[in-house]
Amino acid sequence: MNFFFYLLQQLTRRVRTATRLGPLAALLLVGATGCNLQKDIDVELPAFPAQLVVECYLEPGQVPRLTVSETAPYLSVPTPTLLTDVSVVLTHPSGQKEAFRFTPGQDTLTQKLYTHMGKNPLVAKPGDTFQLDVKDTHGRHVKGTATMPSSITIDSLVWKFNDKTAEERKAYLLVKFQDPAATADFYRLQIHKDSISKDPNRDFELDDRLTNGQLMTLGTSYRYSTNDTLLVTLYHIDQPYYRFLQSVSDAQNANGNPFAQPASVKSTVEGGVGVFTVLSYHRRKIVIR
Amino acid sequence: MRLYLSVLQFSVFFLLSALSVQAQQRFTLSGYVRSSADRSGLPGASVAVPALGTGVTADSTGYYSLTLLEGRHQLAISFIGYVTQTRELNLTKSQRQSFSLAEASNQLGEVVIEGTGTLEQKLQTTQMSVEHLSARDAKLLPALFGEVDLLKTLQLKPGVQNGGEGTSGLFVRGGSADQNLFLLDDAVVYNPSHLFGLFSVFNADAIQSVDLYKGGFPAQYGGRLSSVVDVKTREGNPQKLGISGGLGLISSRLTVEGPIVKDKGSFTLSGRRTYFDVFTRQINKMNEDTEDYSPIPDYYFYDFNAKANYKIGQKDQLFLTGYYGRDVFGFNSTGGFNFDFVWGNTVGVLRWNHVFSPKLFLNTSFSATRYQYQIANKLDQFGFSLSSEIQDYALRSDLDYQPNEKHTLRLGVSATNHRFNVGRLSANSTDGSLNIGSETIYGGQEASVYASDNFKASEELQLDYGLRLTGFQSGSDRFAALEPRGSVRYSLTPKTSLKASYAMMYQYVHLVSNSGASLPTDIWYPSRLNVKPQRSQQVATGVSFLLGQGKYLLTNEVYYKWAQNQVDFRDGAQLFGNSDLDAEFLFGKGWSYGNELYLEKKTGRTTGWVGYSLAWTKRQFPAQRGGSGVNNGKVFYPTYDRRHNLTVVGLHQLNERINLTASFVFTSGAPTTLPQGRFFMQDIFGDDVEAVPIYPDRNTYRMAPYHRMDLGMVYKLRPKRGESDLTFSVYNAYNRRNPYFIYFDQERDETTGAPQSFRARQVSLFPVIPSVTYNFKF
Repeated sequence: MNFFFYLLQQLTRRVRTATRLGPLAALLLVGATGCNLQKDIDVELPAFPAQLVVECYLEPGQVPRLTVSETAPYLSVPTPTLLTDVSVVLTHPSGQKEAFRFTPGQDTLTQKLYTHMGKNPLVAKPGDTFQLDVKDTHGRHVKGTATMPSSITIDSLVWKFNDKTAEERKAYLLVKFQDPAATADFYRLQIHKDSISKDPNRDFELDDRLTNGQLMTLGTSYRYSTNDTLLVTLYHIDQPYYRFLQSVSDAQNANGNPFAQPASVKSTVEGGVGVFTVLSYHRRKIVIR
Repeated sequence: MRLYLSVLQFSVFFLLSALSVQAQQRFTLSGYVRSSADRSGLPGASVAVPALGTGVTADSTGYYSLTLLEGRHQLAISFIGYVTQTRELNLTKSQRQSFSLAEASNQLGEVVIEGTGTLEQKLQTTQMSVEHLSARDAKLLPALFGEVDLLKTLQLKPGVQNGGEGTSGLFVRGGSADQNLFLLDDAVVYNPSHLFGLFSVFNADAIQSVDLYKGGFPAQYGGRLSSVVDVKTREGNPQKLGISGGLGLISSRLTVEGPIVKDKGSFTLSGRRTYFDVFTRQINKMNEDTEDYSPIPDYYFYDFNAKANYKIGQKDQLFLTGYYGRDVFGFNSTGGFNFDFVWGNTVGVLRWNHVFSPKLFLNTSFSATRYQYQIANKLDQFGFSLSSEIQDYALRSDLDYQPNEKHTLRLGVSATNHRFNVGRLSANSTDGSLNIGSETIYGGQEASVYASDNFKASEELQLDYGLRLTGFQSGSDRFAALEPRGSVRYSLTPKTSLKASYAMMYQYVHLVSNSGASLPTDIWYPSRLNVKPQRSQQVATGVSFLLGQGKYLLTNEVYYKWAQNQVDFRDGAQLFGNSDLDAEFLFGKGWSYGNELYLEKKTGRTTGWVGYSLAWTKRQFPAQRGGSGVNNGKVFYPTYDRRHNLTVVGLHQLNERINLTASFVFTSGAPTTLPQGRFFMQDIFGDDVEAVPIYPDRNTYRMAPYHRMDLGMVYKLRPKRGESDLTFSVYNAYNRRNPYFIYFDQERDETTGAPQSFRARQVSLFPVIPSVTYNFKF
């Protein structure tokens, strides 16, 4: 049984918070909170060549969809840019190549925008390997390979309320599952309230480096109220996707944290930026009572 | 005939003179130079015979030994912050003679007035690239929140950079923060900071003096690449009991000192504690009904210093030093989490000083030091803790021997047993359903032998050369190295000296940190098979001029330092609870070079210094271990690289009751890494679109230059009993918004939440901060 991954994540966040709150606490002491210690400045960034950005999450039973965009200078105004000259080919485990159609739209389930789409629902089982090939007319070429991980089942969901009354009465949630002993495994846990179309209430990734083969327990703080509907999704992910998620988090944290070292994003694709992976997850829905 | 008589007279005179010289014997004068106020030894004090152009410097206990021809001599005894004493002595035999120097002023916040002796001494010594600072100096200067900090005062010296606004970290001649050896009475202090680097652990009330070596390292020092910060604590007053202390804006301190046995032994006890937590708890209490109010975490630090000494007969003396300090940070979140974070150093040293003869004496010390942090996290019945520590036991012995007036030999050995607990994780629950532990411990043994000789080849030429043999083992991994050291001084004229030095240094322990700054959670790690020792070499040359009838010393030094096996870490390195940290290291090379100009004045009512350095620091970490290294293998400037650095420090004694001080700092902008590009990530689910920054190069952007003026005033009160003063400080007097860091902010559409624009924001840490401290002594 392993509870401490969540706590470790909490700890890391607390340490980060601590390192930033120390000076802030000092400032409070001298009444400096009223002082304006931030200001806009002009920054001239060097030219940054645009790279293709690919985001593709294959899922068995779902028609494959993919979003292609491109990187931009950080301070440029975000303008919707649709790349119309991009061709996408997915190679199935059988060797069959499937060219995606350019049909920009929005996924009704996930609310995500996409630019390209396959023809049929995906047929995939754990161990199947897919290849992605994305090209444009400017010579930019992104390639990626992804293998579907095995499915890990959530053994149980346990919640417990605190001793407080009325509005302050909250419950924490424990998610338990068995980690396979034979492999190095990586997971992502998402907890949505009410609908998966919204941002997850909890979202973190972890590995089994210190608890290989054990019964894993992931938990939350006291945060859920009576009658909350929770959608708990446990993804069993591969290492490249795990590293991508971690590096994205590190890169975002480095912007605004004077103690963090800047981290480069570790894409799962070559020739550009982004992620190509096959999702393997188990989802359970519960109502907290 | 007249010519013959003249020759004869001259010959007789010459012979008589020669016989007279041959008949004169040499005797050794030895003893201690002490402060008359508290009888503590004054390390570095000068005992000189100006007429002969000779003299010596007292050792770390204040002990000196000077060999002279028999006869009458005019001695000059001087030390920074003390009134120079001249004494005529008729030397007819070897004898002990101790001196007591009076403080330059008996005020608490006194202006340093000293004789010209110390500047002459700096001119004449072979040692270059060293800064001496007494606690008395530091107490005069304006300080952030009124908290006197010796390390921050050292940052005002050329060649020394800080790690950011208000921090006490030292970056010496291009070295990183972990390449400084902090010694407290010969014991290593692994984390010299409180409050994430904003204050140092060295309480100025407990400290006698600090010597900072930036280069030309004497052979007795080793173990770090870039600097040695040798801190000596105060000995207590052996004559009478005394109490001193202060009440400040954020902390209070108290020191008690007195005799153990009158004139045989004394003690000092110092303590201080901050009271941030008192204020923040009140603020939290006032806001507890405010919706969405996030309580400010509790934070405070405290530390205690103790020192005792006892004379056992005429030839033996024992010294005992202790330090214990802790930072405490914690809070209870609304989500039910209890979070406690405690870190600090514990240091103990027992030293035995034995004088075999005035020309031969021995210092032997046994020390223990430990730095640890522990983070404990609790939710309901579940608990989690993470901790790390390094613990040393060290034995060292240093023998000083002066066979004749031309040579001063120093020999020494040391052995240290390290214990590195690089990470201890545990998770448990009160119902026993959870019980997990993980711990990684390494041992390490470090030893050294050294010998050095200070050789006065002539009045003009003096050399100091030495060799240090070091070794380290951790498990079956062993390393050994020879570290040659040398320095030379040549006097072009009585007021002009040329100096040069060379030093090779090895560092066997490494700080595991990817924060770019010293944080309490940084881990010390031993050299191992895949983590080789760091190495550096430094050459420096300099010229010094004594100007204005000895009132000013102008020094210019040029240095070049190159280093191998410099340490960095892979992007996204897992530094917590990783049993295979070796794999996270990256190794590269570094080099730095620069010119340091320093003009100081230490006599008269107005004293101070001006320092300017022009410097470059570079690092390169090529592709390795399946990665592209750091910055894709290209050379980059670390965050502490500063091209220009100007400091001006002035102290003026207006009258007997008022001292005025001011300091000004200007440095070039710090390099920083800004994201050059971005992409939007939708992720699998959710309605939020996140901008993800892309960092192609490291530290290519320079923030705006940093400049700041601090002002201070010490006003002496006239209490009925004892002494007291009010020390006023204004930090950042003209309220400059200096850059602390820059980040890119995202503006979102209020209705759709979609990103609309981005802007660069500069964050400053400290505006103008006035403070007042009340100091007392009785």
